[in-house]
Amino acid sequence: MTRVRRASIRLSLVAAVVATGCTAAGTSRGPAPSAPADGAVIVAEGQSFDRAELLIPADRAFQLLFENRDGAPHNVTLVADTAAAPLYAGEIFDGPEARIYQVPPIPAGTYRFRCDVHPEMSGTVVASPAEARDRTTRARLRSGDEDHQVHPRLRST
Amino acid sequence: MATTIYRPAVPQHRAALTVLRLTVVGLTLATAAIHAKLGGPLFTLNAIGYTSLALLLVVPGPFARLRWLVRLALMGFALTTIGGWALFGARFPLAYFDKAIELVLVVTLTVEVWVVDGGPIEIARRVRDHVAATRALLRGKP
Repeated sequence: MTRVRRASIRLSLVAAVVATGCTAAGTSRGPAPSAPADGAVIVAEGQSFDRAELLIPADRAFQLLFENRDGAPHNVTLVADTAAAPLYAGEIFDGPEARIYQVPPIPAGTYRFRCDVHPEMSGTVVASPAEARDRTTRARLRSGDEDHQVHPRLRST
Repeated sequence: MATTIYRPAVPQHRAALTVLRLTVVGLTLATAAIHAKLGGPLFTLNAIGYTSLALLLVVPGPFARLRWLVRLALMGFALTTIGGWALFGARFPLAYFDKAIELVLVVTLTVEVWVVDGGPIEIARRVRDHVAATRALLRGKP
């Protein structure tokens, strides 16, 4: 067996161990996963969401990655203060697990998000056109707002 | 002070009553565990309420004389929880399962209240007696 081959096997083993460790550590506190392309991300942990304000694209369907790190069931529901019916209600599921919600188009504006099981878990949703949202995100990244930084492990992907 | 003689459980039915009591306690602890799993202040308080009432149903001592009252309280607690969920609760499989447990609990408690405590008329009589006794105590009369 050549030295290169042996080294590549060792590297594979290390990668497998690291990958297993990452999977096993799925329940532990860590940075929020990166959002799907042109989508949004939110994490529930310790009976609260990781952010008070959620930025979403307006007027077009998008993906919302929701990671539930609690053992308790949670979901994300988008509601307008004026309407009785929610704009979108994500499926409730037990953690630790992450799911991608396919959210239909939502008009530009400010709404509320909440967990249907625990209504005390709530925040503000800002739906804005992509350009305005990108400007806000860039400004926040410059100011070091961790909520809008991409997960270091996924930055290169 | 008038002494009320309550109908004791018939000996041959004692085993059935024990099973009934264990069923009530088991169902109460099951719904307590589900509420504890849900987390959050409201569900945790609910779990503590159910657990406390389950304990009061089995602990011996002075509380044993007031088990009929604990059964009523537990029935009211379960009905309030079901009503609260119907009005404000989230709809998901675990919630439906928990409501099924609570409905069976209410039915089982109704059977127990009927068989052990003598039904609603007997319960009303006990409540009247206790209110009268409390009033007399407050007035300082034995």
